[in-house]
Amino acid sequence: METLFKRKVTVTLKYIVVTFVASLLLMLIMSSFAKREYAISIFLGFALFAMAITYLTNFSIPMKFFLPGMFFLIAFVVGPILYTVAMSAFHYETGNYISKPEAITQILSTGVRPDADQTTFDIVIGEDAGKKLEILASDPLNKKYFISSLTSKIDLDASTLKIDENGDVATAPGFHALTPSEQSALDAQLGQARFVYSSDYFITIEGGTLGSLKRQTLTYDKTSDTFKNVLTGAIYKDNGTGDFANVANKAEILQPGWRAPIWFANYTKLFTDPQIRKPLIRVFIWTVVFASLTVLTQFALGLLIALVMNRKLFGRRIYRSIIILPYAMPSIMSILIWGGMFDTEFGAINHLFGTHVHWFQSPLYARLAVIIVNLWLGFPYFYLICSGALQAIPAELSEAAAIDGASSGQIFRKITLPLLLQVVSPLLVASFAFNFNNFNIIYLLTGGGPSNTLGGDVAGSTDILISYTYKIAFGAGTQNLGLASAISVVIFFIIASISLYGIRRSKVLDSFA
Amino acid sequence: MKRWLKEDLWRHAIALVVCFFVLFPIYLVILSALSPTGSLQVTSFIPKTISFHNFSQLFTSPKIPYLVWMKNSLVIAGVVAILSVVIGAASAFAFSRLRFKGKKQGLQLLLLVQMFPAILSLSAVYVIMSRVYSFAPRIGLGTQPGLLLVYMGGAMGVNIWLLKGFVDSIPMELDEAAKVDGASAVQTYWLIFVPLAAPVLAVVSLLSFIGTFNEFILARLFLVDMHARTIAVGLQGFISGQYASNWGPFAAGSIIASIPLIAIFLSLQRYIISGLTAGSVKG
Repeated sequence: METLFKRKVTVTLKYIVVTFVASLLLMLIMSSFAKREYAISIFLGFALFAMAITYLTNFSIPMKFFLPGMFFLIAFVVGPILYTVAMSAFHYETGNYISKPEAITQILSTGVRPDADQTTFDIVIGEDAGKKLEILASDPLNKKYFISSLTSKIDLDASTLKIDENGDVATAPGFHALTPSEQSALDAQLGQARFVYSSDYFITIEGGTLGSLKRQTLTYDKTSDTFKNVLTGAIYKDNGTGDFANVANKAEILQPGWRAPIWFANYTKLFTDPQIRKPLIRVFIWTVVFASLTVLTQFALGLLIALVMNRKLFGRRIYRSIIILPYAMPSIMSILIWGGMFDTEFGAINHLFGTHVHWFQSPLYARLAVIIVNLWLGFPYFYLICSGALQAIPAELSEAAAIDGASSGQIFRKITLPLLLQVVSPLLVASFAFNFNNFNIIYLLTGGGPSNTLGGDVAGSTDILISYTYKIAFGAGTQNLGLASAISVVIFFIIASISLYGIRRSKVLDSFA
Repeated sequence: MKRWLKEDLWRHAIALVVCFFVLFPIYLVILSALSPTGSLQVTSFIPKTISFHNFSQLFTSPKIPYLVWMKNSLVIAGVVAILSVVIGAASAFAFSRLRFKGKKQGLQLLLLVQMFPAILSLSAVYVIMSRVYSFAPRIGLGTQPGLLLVYMGGAMGVNIWLLKGFVDSIPMELDEAAKVDGASAVQTYWLIFVPLAAPVLAVVSLLSFIGTFNEFILARLFLVDMHARTIAVGLQGFISGQYASNWGPFAAGSIIASIPLIAIFLSLQRYIISGLTAGSVKG
């Protein structure tokens, strides 16, 4: 009886949770649909559908366990990765962020020039009897007056008008001036409005009472998909990579461009464009050196301490608690503190050693600093691992070797180290892969510097691939998301192959089946 | 006897040098936190005057919402730690115990996904969340719930992997016995697995907590408002300021923020280490 009751409670609870989440999802689907974020609506719709099927029927037992985790993984990990891969196939950088129709609209609205004399008119903004927007324009010099709407222009006879001392007119028959508050209500419309003057020219409002004569110099032809500059006669054609380029001079392009698919161009650029290839190779070599040196120094020091303390030692627990500290402290704060310690003038390092080294201004010293700080951060991890592994090695082995007359050095080289490496090597590989992408230490300690920004080279001496890519994507100056995404995909393949090697060795894959 | 002393002496020497290396920056932080000038500029390694001004400033200055940052960090990291482990444990259980098509591929995919440099899908996350903001301003870009959702996604992969390792080590006989007694998979999960794995779940959520507490880049991108910031973003603001590096409050704030983490770590080090060797590296 009691279990039956319990069961009823849990089933009811399940329905309550499912209904709650479902209504939440439904709400989000409706609001995202209203804002035309269809991709998100479809994803959420799928989630809702999957949830209903999974939890209200016994369609698939494993899905009952996987669904919530899958939702978050797809939404915030897999989705963004696919988006990044897609971006890498696009010409997507500063100046090429928007879609093609948006770019055409922007070029049209900026492709306007004032006429040669920079003619202006004094104007009154108003409307006709049918509430149609128009302006009453006065040209006091030439004594010309006219009413212009968005579609037509009517010249007025000066003799019928009341002309004030400035040579302007304020009213005309059939014209109703708008009050300032009525004008501000129409603000957005007035800024865009083009009032007819002649077949080529139009008037735009430059302020409440001033209109200037302008002409569309860049015209768009839909059928041939080209822009024409009516002043110079130059033709601009879609160059296939997201810009309208001058047919006669391909380097001259109209701003802005749009994000156009260029397939593998970002990838080929990595290998063929010397301006990208050179810093990339330099950064890649340093990344490998940095990750290897980090792992080696961390492992060596960790192993040394583990060996030193691998016996009963007075105060061992205190030593252990101290050595573990860098690992327990929030790493961001440690890195920032080390950054302050390497300061040339006031830093503790120079003070301690009585030196005057410009740590972050010289490439060599900056690299050394990065390695030292990373050693501090990471060796406790290897100390913990090594001391655990050393204790697992049976003492009989080294005792037997000692009886056979092996020196302690021989015992370490021939017995302890090989056994230790067997346990630790997958972790060494994992640590290499982690440091290969150790963004925080570079970004917070040196910012990738010192760098020589002359010639537009953003790669600094301590930049590793990931911090360099971050600069390309989000740095100051030109941001190239397409190129950065392509490098990300390449990094992914490098890390994936390193890790797969590590996994093979650690035989994690064996437990898959 | 003499030989023993000789043997131990060099061990102590090495251990002391390493301890000095470890403690040197920590000592400096304490020094600058207690210095009245509040700088990391070293003129002497022994303090002449000790002042708690930097500490009191954190709690009294209206310009420094330190307690709010601390609360934000604890809440965000706490919620992520609990929810991501609750959700991750279910997936880990299924990967470890249930038989279904595509299990191997699923695990491989999970592994593969983790190798993609997370920072580089930052722009994509940014675009997606800014779109979410356009229709649901409470969970989109710039909000703590939005950040929390993104963290949940990021924590999922690691947690499922870690937890799967633990689940594998729980003897099969127990759930087989439950199956014989007529329990369904869902019942086995709730009645056998969850109580058994409770300490393990606690350790993994602790690791998750530390990882989230330490996270900086996403938090800085997401949380612009002074009062919405986490402790890492807030403290970094002191020394990356446009005008002067403000080491005093930074140091004091770092010490206070570190204490809970160090306490957790030292008291639970044995469990945490066993979790780490299961294949994770500290982030």
